[in-house]
Amino acid sequence: MCDATWGEHWDEVDGQRMLFCCDICAAAFKNMISAVKKANSWSRVDSLHIAGNNGTGRKCTASGEGSDFKFYVKFYNDGSILDFHKL
Amino acid sequence: MDSEGFHALSEHFVVAGISGEGEHVMWLNRYVGRDRIPANMLSERLSVMYDTSGDLKGWIVRRLVERIYTTPPHPFIKRMQHPDRSTIYGYVLEHHHFLMQWVKSCAAIMSKTDEEDVQLYEIDNIISEFRGLSPSRPSHHELLLRMGESIGITRSVVYSTEPLQTTARCLNWWQRIASECHWLETMAAMHTLELTANPNIRKMGSDLTYFDPAILENDSYPEAVRNFLREGYVADASHSMDALDLIEKHCTPELEKDVQSVVYRTVSLLDDYLMSRLKRSESYGN
Repeated sequence: MCDATWGEHWDEVDGQRMLFCCDICAAAFKNMISAVKKANSWSRVDSLHIAGNNGTGRKCTASGEGSDFKFYVKFYNDGSILDFHKL
Repeated sequence: MDSEGFHALSEHFVVAGISGEGEHVMWLNRYVGRDRIPANMLSERLSVMYDTSGDLKGWIVRRLVERIYTTPPHPFIKRMQHPDRSTIYGYVLEHHHFLMQWVKSCAAIMSKTDEEDVQLYEIDNIISEFRGLSPSRPSHHELLLRMGESIGITRSVVYSTEPLQTTARCLNWWQRIASECHWLETMAAMHTLELTANPNIRKMGSDLTYFDPAILENDSYPEAVRNFLREGYVADASHSMDALDLIEKHCTPELEKDVQSVVYRTVSLLDDYLMSRLKRSESYGN
C-alpha cells in the first residue's frame, strides 16, 4: 500500500497470504478489495495497480472477470474508507 | 533527552515498526521516510527533528502546520472551506465532547501550577470556551450548541449522542495527559490544538485558513454557524499564541523534549479527531 519497509505484518486476503508494512495498511487493502468486489459484483480481484499515497488518496485500476475498473480511494487513519468512487 | 534518550526512543520505534504496529509505522513514514534505517541512524534523525534552535514556540507551530495544513491539507480543513450541513453536523456532535474534556484539562493545569500568569490564562480560557463572559457574549460551547440547533440538531441529541470511537480514544489520551503528566505537557497537548483555527495560519506556512473567511459575510449560512466560526476565528488569533508564549516562558531544559513528544502525539491525535468529525458527517440525515 505505502511501500514502507519499516514493518512486517502478514495478513490473509481472499485466501492469499500477503505482506504489509503494518496492520493499518492491511486493513485498508482489505477494505479496498471488498469495495471493488461490491462495486463490480465480482467474486474476486485478479490484479490491482495502485498509484498515490495516503495524503492525496490513490488512483487505482483493478482487473477481474475479464474487465478493468478504474477508481479513486482515500482512507481514514484507521484504514476504513473515506472516499471511494469510479473514475 | 540526551543521546542515550534518543537511542532508546529509536530502538522503541524500530521494534514497534518491525512488529507492524500501524501507528508507529505511519509516524515513521510521515516524519522519517518509507525506508527502514538502523536504530543508530534513526537516533540521529530524531535528534535533528527535536532541535528547536532555541525557538520552541516556532517549532510547535511548524509541527501543527505540517501535520494539518500542508502535504496536503487535512480533508476536514478542505471540507471546512465551504462546509455543508453534514460537515457542520459532524463538527457539532464530536466537538461537544471535545469541549467537555477541554475544560477538565484546563482545570487540571490550574490545579497543578503555582504560576499566576498560567492560572489567569486558563481562567480566561475556561470562561471563553465554557462559561461565557455575559449573556450577550456566550461561550464557544454555547455557540456550538446554537450552531447545531440552526441545522436542526437539538441539545438533547447532542448531549445524548456518544462520541465516535476515534474521538473517545483521542479524548482519553488528552484526559490521561491532564491526569498523569506535568501541567506544561498538558498545556502543550491542549493549546497546540488551538492553533488550528488561528486566522494568521497562512503567515505560518499554510496555504489555507481554517475556513474561507468569506463565509462570515455569506447569508446562505445560518447566522448561528457564522457566529460560531467568527468567535473562534477572532478568539484564537491571540489566544493560541499567548499559550505558546507561556509554554516557552515556563519550559525548562529538563522538560523540553517531553513537551515536544507531547506535541508530536497531540497533532497526530488532532488529525484522527478531525477525521472523526468527517466520519460522523457521513451519518447526517440517517
